[in-house]
Amino acid sequence: MSEVPKDNGKHLDEMTLLLYVERQLDRARGMEVSAHTQECDTCRTLLRALERESRLLTRAMLEEDEPLPSRLAQFQERARKSMQWIWGLVFGLAATGAYALYTSYIQPWQQQLEQAGFGGSNLLGLLIFQGAMWKGWQSVITLLEVLAMLTLAGLGALFFRRRIRRGSALALVFAGFCTVLTVAPAASATEYRGGQSPTVNKDESIKGDIYMSGERVRIEGTVEGDVFAAGKDIEIDGHVTGDVICAGRLLQVRGTVDGNVRGAGNNGVISGTVTRNVMWFGDAVTVESTGKVGGSVTMFGDTMAIDGHLGRDILFFGTEVNVSGVVEGGIREKGHAMTIGANGQVGGPIHFEGDKPAEVSSSAKLASPVEFKQIERRKEYRDGSYYIWQVIWAAAYILFGLVLFALMPNFAEEAVKSTERYGASAGLGILVGCGLPIAALIACVTVVGLFIGISTFFLWYASLYFGQIVVAALIGQWLMGRTQEIWPLIGRMAVGFVLLRLCTMIPHVGWVFKYGAAFWGIGAISLVVYRRLQPVIAPGMPSGPYTPPSATVGGAVPA
Amino acid sequence: MSAPGITEPTEVITRARAGDAEAWGQLYHDYAPAIFRFCRRALPTREDAEDATMEVFMKLKGKLNQYDSTRSFSAWLYKVAANHCWDMLRRRKIRQDKETGDLENLPLEHPDPSQLEKLIEERSSEEVRRALDKLGARARMALVMRYYSDMSYDEIADALGVRRAFVGVVLLRARHELRQALEGNAALAAGGAS
Repeated sequence: MSEVPKDNGKHLDEMTLLLYVERQLDRARGMEVSAHTQECDTCRTLLRALERESRLLTRAMLEEDEPLPSRLAQFQERARKSMQWIWGLVFGLAATGAYALYTSYIQPWQQQLEQAGFGGSNLLGLLIFQGAMWKGWQSVITLLEVLAMLTLAGLGALFFRRRIRRGSALALVFAGFCTVLTVAPAASATEYRGGQSPTVNKDESIKGDIYMSGERVRIEGTVEGDVFAAGKDIEIDGHVTGDVICAGRLLQVRGTVDGNVRGAGNNGVISGTVTRNVMWFGDAVTVESTGKVGGSVTMFGDTMAIDGHLGRDILFFGTEVNVSGVVEGGIREKGHAMTIGANGQVGGPIHFEGDKPAEVSSSAKLASPVEFKQIERRKEYRDGSYYIWQVIWAAAYILFGLVLFALMPNFAEEAVKSTERYGASAGLGILVGCGLPIAALIACVTVVGLFIGISTFFLWYASLYFGQIVVAALIGQWLMGRTQEIWPLIGRMAVGFVLLRLCTMIPHVGWVFKYGAAFWGIGAISLVVYRRLQPVIAPGMPSGPYTPPSATVGGAVPA
Repeated sequence: MSAPGITEPTEVITRARAGDAEAWGQLYHDYAPAIFRFCRRALPTREDAEDATMEVFMKLKGKLNQYDSTRSFSAWLYKVAANHCWDMLRRRKIRQDKETGDLENLPLEHPDPSQLEKLIEERSSEEVRRALDKLGARARMALVMRYYSDMSYDEIADALGVRRAFVGVVLLRARHELRQALEGNAALAAGGAS
């Protein structure tokens, strides 16, 4: 702070006067300033102006120009009450929701899979937590995976931090993280072979699991464990005592697999023996006349041909099934066509939901006739229940939106604002909407791991819904005007969603509205996420000693 | 310094410390409007202010045991809010807005007293609030701490992480920024004393 000039012919600097007004000068200096301002009109005027400025500032700041926002008022209500029963209610609702989800989606799949020979396990368990897939998941825990999980934990902490106290948030996230690590025991020793044509030779015996990748992967010897293979052609002529998990263009099993075969790719051809089950995601699966599968075949893809012997059932979602061999269990197909040839034998019930009745040779031996259900496309428009379901779905969406908006009001509001950046959100929406599932798939089949992959996929799937909700809120704002309050915004979202839902019901073009809105919304969400993940630039606080402004101190202004 | 019309809530604080939800509700009811207004003045958006208010009260649960009941509760609460808001701004780069080295190093011109008086006389509270929104984060934060919550120079220095002797400079610069914003013209704001 500058000196108070002794010479009354000079004016006091503004800083000194401000400190005087603020009562920050010591007594002696205060007296000097007081004496000076009694004699100097200019300084007195400035002093008075500074005092008035202080009062104006205080008045402007203290004025109640805005009521307490409704969100804070609700928070107040929550704070008044004991939180125990609210948490009980929240967890109760969450449990109910999880149960509803299980009974609506997972359980039917589980039952179907059980019918197809995957008894005693549900879909998620089957895919992730049991058998060879789980063991494989355990054994591919790498630094990369740990880092990926830490990243997830960090994101979780970021999310929860805004809702609950930091200590609790960290405890919650890290408890979950530790649980995951506890569930997955330490990795066991495994063998890896790569190169152009990795091979387990005829006279070779591998004890334990093996990972193989290359253009042509061959197993001619014995593997006493599981095989994880990725390559263009995968050929198994030897003996695998565990499971085969693979991804590639062509899988040929000419030898023996004691466990399951699970894979994704173009063609799976089995001319040898698979003692347990086959699950295939891809174009075609063929069990040749010499082929034998002890369990079931489950397929999601195009065509399935069974010329050999199948110990249990077929579960098929795709285009066509051809049976010219023996199926000891039943068949459940949802697809386009089914053909059972002259040599075909089916020991269990056959349920076929398709576009045309199954073609069954008169010489085929069936335990029971084919139970056929015609897929009646577009019939729904004439069906009253279709509209009831539309209303139920719309209500469910609105409820979902309500929960999300209430849970993340700022995020939701920012997302709605971002939708108005039409080009950026639409472009980013297409990019993320298409890219995320691909990334999830890559994560599933690479070292990043199934856990990350499936989590990413679920995130993408949820964002398809959230995207529509965000766009619905924008439509609502177009109709009813803008708002920054959360509940009016939810109201607009509900109105907008009803309108959007009506658009999606238009025959032939409804899907354009649906996916257009979803991708547009995903883009807007991505923009917000991107903005929030921007790195924070370290602030530059002044640390050096203060140098008084040169032009301020006691300028030679005439009194 | 206290929330308007509120006497020191010693008994409520004691109950709140013991985990009484009703007492928490009472504290929130009494102090949330004042804290919200503090945050609203200090932070760039209304949403930030809402978030900050909730976070301050959530933080309060953990910090209430640190409160020295011989001192003013509202003063202490404003200090918690100020630290929280400043942390929020620091975590973002908002704090750097308008606070580049260029602005820091600009010399302050001596104002023309009569022009300054005229400027203050002509401006309404509403205009001052609008002008506050245009200030850099530190300038606004300093003004809010001083003229809204009446924090001492020591407390402001502590919250902003600057030396006490620098607080006056921060406030003076903030006032100059405010005048510029009120005028909408840098040349007019200082008044051109020379």
